[in-house]
This record gives sequence, structure tokens and C-alpha cells, in this order.
Amino acid sequence: MSVLETVGTFVGIPLLIVAVFGGLAYASGGRAQSKRYRPGRPFEFTPVWFLSSPERLHPDGAQALTGGEQRPALADEPAQGAGSQDVTRQGVATPLGATGGASDRW
Amino acid sequence: MTVGDQTRSLTARPEVLDGPFTTRQLLRIDEALRLADSTTGLTFSVYVGDLDEPVRQHAEKLHAQLPDPSHSVLVAVSPNQRLLEIVTGAEARKRIPDRDAKLAALSMAASFGGGDLGGGIVSGLDQLASHAGRS
Repeated sequence: MSVLETVGTFVGIPLLIVAVFGGLAYASGGRAQSKRYRPGRPFEFTPVWFLSSPERLHPDGAQALTGGEQRPALADEPAQGAGSQDVTRQGVATPLGATGGASDRW
Repeated sequence: MTVGDQTRSLTARPEVLDGPFTTRQLLRIDEALRLADSTTGLTFSVYVGDLDEPVRQHAEKLHAQLPDPSHSVLVAVSPNQRLLEIVTGAEARKRIPDRDAKLAALSMAASFGGGDLGGGIVSGLDQLASHAGRS
């Protein structure tokens, strides 16, 4: 084998293979970013609210809950008397016996 | 289906398809919700979106907007704040004690931490429904 053939075989062919795979990776990376949620990345989607059968819950359908915009918080919440609250759950004040549940973060 | 869908015409592309869930995940969530509702007799609902501070009160307010809050369970997930709230109504709380809700919340948070929103929601609903038992 001449020097040229040796270089062509042991340098040229590997370079060609690397270029092909690099090109493939670059091409696939150029697509639109995946929709999937990944922790730590900003989540920029419209809020959604799932119910199994809203039409059965609301026969009139008039005041059905709507998705699509963020819910305003505490806009029309009446002020609660301090006496009717317990502060057992992580210091969060809740009306006595109203709701339960749990909180978590990740 | 999502709650907002019914206000739009049937031909329009539902907004929920632009969300983070694939069609398959949406179908699985829908199935999980229907199964949970029909086996327990409670009303389960899932909210995915930002929650305002104070988060717990916001989730409780959303819960109060459901048609029958005392028999309803709301799972509110805020991926941006990486927060999860499970709100059970007064009657639902008797079926799903806070301890069981916390257990479901833990497993959901574990899935969300791995980036699996759909799977976490489905498994959480399944846990909550099995803790609630049959109606």
C-alpha cells in the first residue's frame, strides 16, 4: 500500500464516518424543540383543566369551567375570621374541616 | 376531555393539543379520570398550569369552582413552580385521608421530577382512586 492509500484508509474513511454521523445529529438537532416537559426548563403552555365528563356535571353548560387562561387567584375570596382557621398544615391557614389533601414539590 | 373544549366548536383544533401532552398521554389521562370517577363515585379533576401565591389557597379556590366541591378531588400541578397540590373536599377527605393523599403526591412528584408529567398524573389518579375504594 502506498502512503496515499494508507492515509486514505485509516484517516479518510473514519473521517467520512464521523462526518456522516455528525451531519445526522446536527440535522435532527435542528428540528423544533420537543414539547415534552423537562424539569428546570420553563413551561410555557396554556393552563389546562381536565375533568372526565364536564357536560354531565353541568347539564346547563352555562357556567362550565373554562381553560385557556390562568386562573385569577383570590380575587373574590371573602376575608376569613382568624378564629375559624386551623394552622396545622404547614402553617397554611384553612377553614376548619373544609378541605384536605397534600402538597409536594420536586 | 378538557373543560374548556365544550365552549369551542367541535371542528376547531382543541387548545389542549398544543400543550405538553401527546395524544396518547391525553387519552390515558382521560381514561384514568373516567375510571377514577366511575369506581369511586367522587369527581376527580386535574389542573396543569401556573398557580398564584399563596399556592395552596389558589388550588383550594380552583377546587371550590368545581360543581360539587365536597365530593371532588383536585390535583393541581404547576410545572414552572415545580409544585403539586392535591385538594380533597370535605366528603372526599373521609375517603382519602391526607396521609394517603401525601403518598400519592410523593409518587407523582417522583414522576414529575423525571420529566414524566402524563405518567405521574395517571399513576397519582390511580393511587388516589384505589385509596378511596369503591363507592
